[in-house]
Amino acid sequence: MAITAGITLTSAAGDLVTDALVLSTSTNLTKAGSATALSQTSGLARKTTTSASQYILFDADDYPSGPAKAGKIYLKNTETSAALFFTISIDTKTIGRIYAGDFAFLPWSNVDGTNDIKITPSTSASHTLEYMLFYE
Amino acid sequence: MATTTASLTLTSTDLFDDSLSLSNTSTLHKAGTTIGLDQTTGLTKTYVTATTQFDPFPVVKGTTNAGENGRVYIANLSEDETEYIIVTIGDLVIGRLYAGDFMWMPWSPKAQHVNDIEITPSVATGMWVEFMAIHNFANIYPDSDDS
Repeated sequence: MAITAGITLTSAAGDLVTDALVLSTSTNLTKAGSATALSQTSGLARKTTTSASQYILFDADDYPSGPAKAGKIYLKNTETSAALFFTISIDTKTIGRIYAGDFAFLPWSNVDGTNDIKITPSTSASHTLEYMLFYE
Repeated sequence: MATTTASLTLTSTDLFDDSLSLSNTSTLHKAGTTIGLDQTTGLTKTYVTATTQFDPFPVVKGTTNAGENGRVYIANLSEDETEYIIVTIGDLVIGRLYAGDFMWMPWSPKAQHVNDIEITPSVATGMWVEFMAIHNFANIYPDSDDS
């Protein structure tokens, strides 16, 4: 079994910096400290929110916990209006915002069952988020 | 206007009965606009030889960062599958990046030490780590000599 994640960051010469930026890397998503692939997933899901309240996307109690558990989270704001964003939080800590079209891919350390992954839409207008968790 | 794009792919032929083939591309904009992010720390590659926590994107003391649309790339270039780096924000552990792993996430640095990103290598025997922030924050280093 294999799950591959790849990222490419590009900017033309003279744009972000004087030289061109072409960064590309990929990795196989594996269990902690091994070459064995992650084997479980939440599946690719979509959530449309209609409130500016905070939502729990992944409740840490529902997933295996411990420092040596590998997890990867994918999040995408599918909106097209530039002003609409989701604030991403882990437990009580704000990580940052993903605006329209933005995505994030980050590890998840569900050490003690408290690190819930949470989102807060920027307004009570309809906001749609796509998300997926890979875990062991 | 600076145009920087990020593309992510997630693929698997055997995770499900069906195949997974997810692909996304986004242009990096300043918060709530279609104006491109125009500052970067540059792509840094460093060889770390201690398990001491370090700060790849220092926030300037006594300041705040109002802009809310920075992006952070961090990769563990080790080829030893047991070696990892722990990535934290403030006092919260986000997760571990094992050999070859990368992350791409938004970042709201706020004031110094509130949301600083920190990296802690798992071994002192030497690991290559790569990182870059693309942002429009006023107050991450380098700082004015007068402040």
